[in-house]
Amino acid sequence: MSQGGGIPVAMVLLGVVGWPAGAGAQHLTVGPQAVLVDYREVSSGLRYSGSGFGGVATGRHGKLSAAASVVRLTLDPTDQSTAGAGFKATQLDAWVGYDVASYASVEVGIIRRTADPGFAAQSLGALRVGARSTYDLGPGATVSFRANYLAAPKFSGGGRASFSIDLGLGLDVRLAGRLHGVVDYAFERVNRKTNPGGTGEIDAPIQQTLARLGLGIGF
Amino acid sequence: MTTRCVGGLFLLAVLAPAAGRAQGVQNATLRRAQQAYDNLEYRQALSLGQAALRERLAGAERARAYEVVGFSYAALDSILKAVDGFKQMVLIDPERQLDPNRVSPKAYSAFDVALRQVLLVRQLRIDSTSFVAGQGAVPIRFMVTQPARVVTRAIGGGGGGGGGGPANFLVDSSAWNGQVNLSWSPRLPNGDPVPAGTYTVVVEARLGQNTFSASQQIRVTHGRVDTLPHLTSLPGYQYLPETEIPPQTWRPLGLAFLYTGGALIGTLGLESGSLGASSKRELGVVGGAALVTGFVMTLRKPAPRPAEGNILYNRLLTEQIARRNADIAKENVTRRQQVQLTVGPPLKTGAPR
Repeated sequence: MSQGGGIPVAMVLLGVVGWPAGAGAQHLTVGPQAVLVDYREVSSGLRYSGSGFGGVATGRHGKLSAAASVVRLTLDPTDQSTAGAGFKATQLDAWVGYDVASYASVEVGIIRRTADPGFAAQSLGALRVGARSTYDLGPGATVSFRANYLAAPKFSGGGRASFSIDLGLGLDVRLAGRLHGVVDYAFERVNRKTNPGGTGEIDAPIQQTLARLGLGIGF
Repeated sequence: MTTRCVGGLFLLAVLAPAAGRAQGVQNATLRRAQQAYDNLEYRQALSLGQAALRERLAGAERARAYEVVGFSYAALDSILKAVDGFKQMVLIDPERQLDPNRVSPKAYSAFDVALRQVLLVRQLRIDSTSFVAGQGAVPIRFMVTQPARVVTRAIGGGGGGGGGGPANFLVDSSAWNGQVNLSWSPRLPNGDPVPAGTYTVVVEARLGQNTFSASQQIRVTHGRVDTLPHLTSLPGYQYLPETEIPPQTWRPLGLAFLYTGGALIGTLGLESGSLGASSKRELGVVGGAALVTGFVMTLRKPAPRPAEGNILYNRLLTEQIARRNADIAKENVTRRQQVQLTVGPPLKTGAPR
């Protein structure tokens, strides 16, 4: 996996934390997150479940929006899993979107997940290209649905993926004043194929569901 | 019977103008003449009036004496002499006016003939007025009793009418007879308003060797033209609220169902067969939160939303008011350069020359 290209992009995207205040029509939200995660790889016997914590930052300036989330996950094998040990992972997600309508935007971004120890699971890096639809449910509450194609995925164990997608459901509710409740669901499916020893490609799919539950302080 | 009626009316009519006048008369002879006239003793009134005229009388009493003589002659059917008496009266007091409803027709006709036989300028009136210089005029009204060349001038104000000394503005020079209505635009030859001050409007009538003039003073003051206030609203048009509260609907819950359902369908559809069904715990948490939020938002009062029609209307109204205010500002610039002329009430009336 190529690790050098994603980091600078992520740093730039994380710069939304320092989104300039004072310009017109802008919002900035930062806050902590608790995470629930379910991870599967290669076969139904290799499944993990866990939780984690992290932080999220979102920003908006006119038609431009950006979001970044970093979570630290602790995954343990489930009862049905054949895996002997769990692992830890750090996942970075970042998006930059542009509104093409009051309820729709196009977005690009990155995903980067690193497993620790590295051999316990596949580390993943990919670009995101997709769209997001956002609607106001009411005063201070918005719901969103996104679909991202994960382009050019790279894996720590090699291989390729002809089809990778990430679906998401988001909810942002202003609880009181500047305090927001931010929850997000992400379903990730990567059709990874490997060719170990040159004997032909075999399927090694990756599937993850992740729920982020957090609070945000609006600025 | 007709003669008696006419006689009674005549007595009433002749008595009426004389009533009460004797009290203000200083000259004893004239007072006795007035009393004799009041007692319908016309011959005695006539002789006493003529006797009073031979005495030394002030102008007003002399006019009163001629009036008694005129009325007495009229009562005695001596119309020509009555006319002579009235002529002398109006030459002394040109503003004297008889009420045709209160004096006898004979006396009034004699008075009327007398007016037409002497050259007089009567009832000179200059109404108070106020106008922007160059956009109005001072109305001047008077009556000329005979066809004559009438020259009307405004004199005074401290120069500006040509030459040194008081300004002399020619208002009109024409042949007139009867009621005359003139207007004077008080401007200098260069178009500026005449200086503020007191002016005397002199009306001089000339017919052959006869001349008569009347005058009246007016006061011209300068002032600033009132400027127009700027508008904050247009009469009859009010700003409309730019937001409106939409009716309460199930749309928030419907949207929450739609989005959660989309995520669920996407998850189920994209799950890998070889990896088995994914955990729905994560979707359950987030989807449940979305549905609860949608339900709560359905029960809540909807947020106000922009009323595009009202916003456009308000924008048009604002632009219209701004345009009107721009016009008013332009008009006020012009008004600040203008002078408001006010012609004050006449200070005094002139005397015949």
